[in-house]
Amino acid sequence: MQGTQRTDVIVIGAGASGAAVAWRFAEAGVDVTVLERGGWTPPAASQSANWEWVLQTERHPDPAIRKAAADYPVTTDATPIRPALFCGVGGSTLRWGAHFPRFHPSDFRTRSLDGVGRDWPVGYDDLAPYYDLNDTIMGVSGLAGDPANPPRTARAMPPLPLCPATTRLAGAFDRLGWHWWPSDSAINSTAQPLGKRGACNHCGPCGLGCPTGARASTDLTYWPLALKKGVRLETGAQVAAIETDRDGRAIAVTYLDADMALQHLEADLIIVAANGMGTPRLLLASRSMAHPEGIGNARDQVGRHLMHHPTAIVTGLFDEPIGMPVGAFACALYSQEFYESDVADRDAVRGYQLQGLRGQGPLGTALGGYARRIPWGSRHHAAFEANFGHGASLTVTVEDLPDPDNRVSLDERTVDAASVPAAALSYRLGTNERRLLDHGIGRAREVMDEAGARDIVVTPLSRQAGFHFLGTCAMGEDPETSVTDRYGRVHGVPGLAIVDGSTFPSSGGVNPTPTLQANALRIADHLLGRIALSPTTEDETL
Amino acid sequence: MSLDLLPTVLDRLLPGDDELGWPSASDIELPRKALKLAAERDATGALETLLAKLPGDFATLEEAGQVAALEALEGADPDGFATLILYAYGAYYTDAGVRCVVEARTGYPARPPQPKGYALPPFDESLLATVRQRAPFWRKVEG
Repeated sequence: MQGTQRTDVIVIGAGASGAAVAWRFAEAGVDVTVLERGGWTPPAASQSANWEWVLQTERHPDPAIRKAAADYPVTTDATPIRPALFCGVGGSTLRWGAHFPRFHPSDFRTRSLDGVGRDWPVGYDDLAPYYDLNDTIMGVSGLAGDPANPPRTARAMPPLPLCPATTRLAGAFDRLGWHWWPSDSAINSTAQPLGKRGACNHCGPCGLGCPTGARASTDLTYWPLALKKGVRLETGAQVAAIETDRDGRAIAVTYLDADMALQHLEADLIIVAANGMGTPRLLLASRSMAHPEGIGNARDQVGRHLMHHPTAIVTGLFDEPIGMPVGAFACALYSQEFYESDVADRDAVRGYQLQGLRGQGPLGTALGGYARRIPWGSRHHAAFEANFGHGASLTVTVEDLPDPDNRVSLDERTVDAASVPAAALSYRLGTNERRLLDHGIGRAREVMDEAGARDIVVTPLSRQAGFHFLGTCAMGEDPETSVTDRYGRVHGVPGLAIVDGSTFPSSGGVNPTPTLQANALRIADHLLGRIALSPTTEDETL
Repeated sequence: MSLDLLPTVLDRLLPGDDELGWPSASDIELPRKALKLAAERDATGALETLLAKLPGDFATLEEAGQVAALEALEGADPDGFATLILYAYGAYYTDAGVRCVVEARTGYPARPPQPKGYALPPFDESLLATVRQRAPFWRKVEG
């Protein structure tokens, strides 16, 4: 052990929620130290000829393929959905598509409204001001006025353009009489006059990082503000355990620093923001006399109720070229025609979102992209020409109901350098989710038919769609069935809070980042004892 | 050594098309490039293991026989074969000459996406004329 240091607040994880909560505490004058196992990750390769290879390898979303030093081990034998996440300053926002939807009010009340899942201890109205604050920091392009969603403030920038492929899908939705709307995107459609981030130049491979800074990732948004406010960020820090005193209060974190020296850091408050897989892994591994089953796990709730967003992909292939792979891949349009519950329509509760995607680059297309791998052999080259630039896709992203048997646990057979066991994912697709996926596939087929597709390729369950890990340390009023209270405070463990997606009682049917960031800011304000939002100064809003 | 078969295998996978203008694997030294990518990912051994499963007389088979042997290998070891395809396609579609063919045949520029990016017209709000006629239909709840 190298020594003991002290800070007011420790935040574990520098991603979407960790960055937000660290900035909020520092803005209030609190001494904050953030421990992040990854490092700063600059944009990669989009100016190089091999950019598509980099997307397939070192920037691949699956840590088992990427094999980065910062990744922790994950066991995936018992799940059909592989993990897709990133470790580093910015977390998974380093690799995301920046699609930026909000939950609906009904998403917070699934038990009350539909008799399934779990209600949140807070509602849409509680999060609304924090959605707005977060939008300001992240920077959002879009358009208010969507009839599928509650009214929201004017977006700071106009929507990103549709490409020819997604314009075609928009027309098909119109002719079918179904809703569509341009996506809210955490990507600058215009340069910010007072900021350092530029406008999107539609280069395409958002997953490589953004040389113009147009695509928001928290290393570009929250982190400059947080560092300016004095947050101490330690990269390469692999947390070994959260430590407690004899009374069970969380008092310190032990971790391996970047030089592999063991460190001990004490704090008044420890906030975990390591995402819905990393957070329960750490809590379960933090065993002690006071918490023999893992910290916060006295009722065997930590790691349970793992929710993803099960995703199907329906790709239409068209005779004529419908556009090259340019523009943000995930930020064109969505349809929430089938988002709210309608059991009579789909023989399932809750709903799903359809999201439009353009085609992939040459290598991505050849390897299968959103459709099927181009066959090798004498037919390869003609088949490539018939597919590349001829495709448009719709993802079907369904709400995942909480199931206690879907979980994150520990696989003691493999440990990381800090001796923390691997996260083991156990997940089974539920009947309701399968029905929603099948209903969505049917509707997406109709869209592709209406758009004039000559061939439709269906991926019934995308294997590499484990982007979202939710619900594994859920908020709730009852300590028997939840891990934290409504303020993210872990039941029975004073001094410990959680702010990431693991606190979600339900998953909604849309991407969770705006909601988990808004929730992190809300929790921060409660823990700080604030009654109302503090005004944000102009220089901090860019 | 089974990797000696790689040039022949890659030419069966990516034979080129003179009529369309696509080069074959051997036209662009694909074996060397694919092995370089594989070496960077510690996958050379996996390719060697896969190719060792080909028939002993693979190199002397007629083209049709080689194709049939590769089809059999793909059926018997789909994961291993997918690794072969990854490095074959990965080396082929990142080759500068092939990217020029992509541009010539499809219009997608051979240059990297940055720093120039691409032009797209701004979002056209008139596209929303139909959907804007809808009344709000999100489900209202208390709280």
